[in-house]
Amino acid sequence: MIAVSGARFAYGDRLALHDVSLDIGETALVALAGPNGSGKSTLLKLLARVASPSAGDVQFLGRSLREWNAKQYAQQTGYLPQEPDTAFPMRAIEVVVSGRAPFLTRFGFETDEDYEHARVALEMCDASHLAERYLDEMSGGERKRVFLARVLAGEPKLILLDEPLAALDVAHTQQFSKLLRNIVDRTRATVVFASHDLNWAAAYSDRIIVMDNGGIAADMSPDELMQPEVVQRLFGFSAETVRVNGKPWLVPRT
Amino acid sequence: MTRAVVVLGLVLLFSIAVAVSVGATSVSWRAILDGDATARAILFGIRLPRVFTGALVGAILAVAGLTFQTLLRNPLADPFILGVSGGAAAGAAVATAAGWARVAGVVPVIAFAGALLATAAVFALARRGSHTDPTRLLLSGLVLNAFFSAVILIAFALSRQSDLTAALRWMMGTLFGASWSDAALLFTLLLVGVIALATMANDLRLLVFGEDDAKSRGVDVERVKLAGFVIASVMTGAAVAVSGIIGFVGLLVPHLIRLVWRRDFRALLPLSAIGGATLLVVSDIASRVIVTSAELPIGAFTALLGVPFFLSLLRRSR
Repeated sequence: MIAVSGARFAYGDRLALHDVSLDIGETALVALAGPNGSGKSTLLKLLARVASPSAGDVQFLGRSLREWNAKQYAQQTGYLPQEPDTAFPMRAIEVVVSGRAPFLTRFGFETDEDYEHARVALEMCDASHLAERYLDEMSGGERKRVFLARVLAGEPKLILLDEPLAALDVAHTQQFSKLLRNIVDRTRATVVFASHDLNWAAAYSDRIIVMDNGGIAADMSPDELMQPEVVQRLFGFSAETVRVNGKPWLVPRT
Repeated sequence: MTRAVVVLGLVLLFSIAVAVSVGATSVSWRAILDGDATARAILFGIRLPRVFTGALVGAILAVAGLTFQTLLRNPLADPFILGVSGGAAAGAAVATAAGWARVAGVVPVIAFAGALLATAAVFALARRGSHTDPTRLLLSGLVLNAFFSAVILIAFALSRQSDLTAALRWMMGTLFGASWSDAALLFTLLLVGVIALATMANDLRLLVFGEDDAKSRGVDVERVKLAGFVIASVMTGAAVAVSGIIGFVGLLVPHLIRLVWRRDFRALLPLSAIGGATLLVVSDIASRVIVTSAELPIGAFTALLGVPFFLSLLRRSR
């Protein structure tokens, strides 16, 4: 569905990504892991067409992103930045319905149908009760749920989420990890999400890509990753693996 | 939104009607209907063009302020902070010092050129590669304003005493002597500007979520920023050239509208235009009736009327 070949990107003098190549198929839940500053956010930006690589290429459905019409690409994809916020106070429902923006005509306003999409998306993110509230009255986690709903309101085929689980409480981390799996299974979409929580990243994903220093350090299944020697080597994380109902979980060594 | 436009539109029409009927000389509607030549000359030659020019200047400044705030995602942005008005004022001050200001029509042209030059300078200073950083834009505007203030002070020190009165009046903002051609020019610019902004409204309103987010929604952010900046600056330059420096409208009106209606750019655009027009027409009435022997600076009244209104709304909002 989306393929990166030999991508390179720098912020001024600082090289953020180099020689990154990967291929992500349809209907997959892919987790991006790696330490701070390893290039996860930059990779997501390239996939979201927010930044374009200085070398190499990104292709969606076999066509380079440079050739995709911006609005048409936006209709197929959804992107959640790391710290989504608005410059001026807005109600949650208005935030969510703006996820329909790529579908509007030049002078068009959102229709009842767009609002219906927005309400369904809020419902999916367990945020219906927040619809009429203003963002600046919400906690960080509640805001995150509203913005995730905004991404879902566009019913994208490719969903790119930069740390969707950060700032969520334990119950919502659990619920959202499952939600991502559900979205993939129900809508046949592909979800790529960055996360620091290896346990939740691994719990439902089909594949985990580990970034380090602007390159891909590992690309494997959760089962392969969740081994004490592998996480020690990739993350310097000293942990044991326990299996609960067949799923591997990392428990830190104390 | 339609209801809000109608309500505000009626308020504007009412203030225009009041503004046309008050002034140094009382003109009765009966005299006009009776075909009194003097009354008609005052109404059609002086009052109407002045009131319409004022309304258009207000609408333009408010729309420009809204556009700058939207583009920079900053509630403090307005034509003054970005140096657009400062550039116009510096141009006018230099023209005064050089003695060119005595030739009719020179000050507006030079002020307009100053506004555009200032815009170009602010944009060039804030640009890094292909990206224009909003914070750098604001900072560049702030620094250029300091430079323009210095130019104005030096130019005034070098000006003849007799030229200074007119220059000072212009600096304080005035609608005195506004003509139908001024109104026609501003009307054309406002119409073209608002239509151009309306074609980008669905993109502009997404900037509230940040530039990266807007890009991911298919917005060509750099193009929208450049176009919005040019449109708002040209409109501001023309308004300042006609009326001098009238403060607070661009900053206050979009916020007033936002405090009451809390909507996105698409709704704020027409509402700000009508709101800005209303504030200026009401301020014009105040500047003419409070002291009948002299005309007080209209720019002072936009602030005197706008600030308490704004503060009371701010206190009532959460």
